[in-house]
Amino acid sequence: MERITGFFRHFFTPNENNNYRAKALHHDYLSCYLVIALLLVFSFKKVNIHNVLGFATDISVNKLFELTNSERTKNNLPALTYNEKLSEAAYQKGQDMFRKNYWAHYAPDGKAPWDFILGSGYQYEYAGENLAKNFLFSRAVVDGWMNSASHKQNILRSDYTDVGFAVVNGVLNGEETTLVVQMFGKPLSNAVAQIKTETPPEEQTHGNAAGHPIINNQPMVLSQKETKPKINLFNLSVDMTYIFIFALLSVLLIDFYVASRMKIIRLGGKNLAHFIFLIFILAGISFIISRSGLIL
Amino acid sequence: MKHLLKTVTHEIKKNLLDYLILLTAGILFIVLLQFLSGSKILLFTAVLVFTSFYILWGIYHHAMTKTLRFKNVLEYVLIAFIILFLIEAILF
Repeated sequence: MERITGFFRHFFTPNENNNYRAKALHHDYLSCYLVIALLLVFSFKKVNIHNVLGFATDISVNKLFELTNSERTKNNLPALTYNEKLSEAAYQKGQDMFRKNYWAHYAPDGKAPWDFILGSGYQYEYAGENLAKNFLFSRAVVDGWMNSASHKQNILRSDYTDVGFAVVNGVLNGEETTLVVQMFGKPLSNAVAQIKTETPPEEQTHGNAAGHPIINNQPMVLSQKETKPKINLFNLSVDMTYIFIFALLSVLLIDFYVASRMKIIRLGGKNLAHFIFLIFILAGISFIISRSGLIL
Repeated sequence: MKHLLKTVTHEIKKNLLDYLILLTAGILFIVLLQFLSGSKILLFTAVLVFTSFYILWGIYHHAMTKTLRFKNVLEYVLIAFIILFLIEAILF
């Protein structure tokens, strides 16, 4: 027991045996942490090749679908049905954005969201689209949409009955990007379909008075088969980052506290400065995790 | 706890300008992140700039307090690089 206590004293508190600086803050230990961090980065990247997307995100169609319906349920709206055709349209839209290098509802060649929907074989009465890019978590994507009035309106629109998602990875403007495409729709009823056959395509019934589907600035999700890895390496790396920073903050605090109590004067790096730096880094990481992406 | 607060207050009072600069840089870093949403490269650049600033701050601070030693600078460099690698793992 004494040995264990001695080890912790040596590791966490400044005393005569560790030159009045917690051993955990010595250069050799800091170098070890650096090597461990490097090994983690490279091993994660190596293993991640066999992951679902190969990109550092934890966004899944299932989670997006679940969260979208959860928002609707909270607002006393019926849940949307997952539609494969809308997901295919969302996937095609995502691929089109990478192929033509754009980030917008309308392609540079004028192709509109409903072109993808109709192209997938989904005949709609109402349709809408939400886009998002470079988010890290499904929850952050849905929160981003819900914080935007127009996107929220899409998610909570009672006219929609179906939804499709696609999460697509690729290179946009020279940067590895994760796009999320969400497409909403209400299939054309038989009665409307009959009228439609007698009217020219440009006068077909759409979601609004202008005759166009409702387009929301929200992310889309690609329809793709999800093979969830047993261990989510992305979540693991985020958790380990938090654990490491909190551990370092704790050691700095304990070391600083004991040193101030013992009135030790040291010439090493300033614990207070490290502490301030790490607090801002923690705030930065929290921001990156929750709001790193954009919605359209 | 009283000792800790006393030491912190004393340290800040003694180097008020230095700590004000560090705090300002930290706030600017958070504000910058808000503007760079949507691009992982730009977000990482912001982290890189802040960590580089932190190392420079350490050198400046210890130079001003006449405690500049290689060991001190190494401490700032090691902590900054650990953070850089951890954030790199999250972003890419």
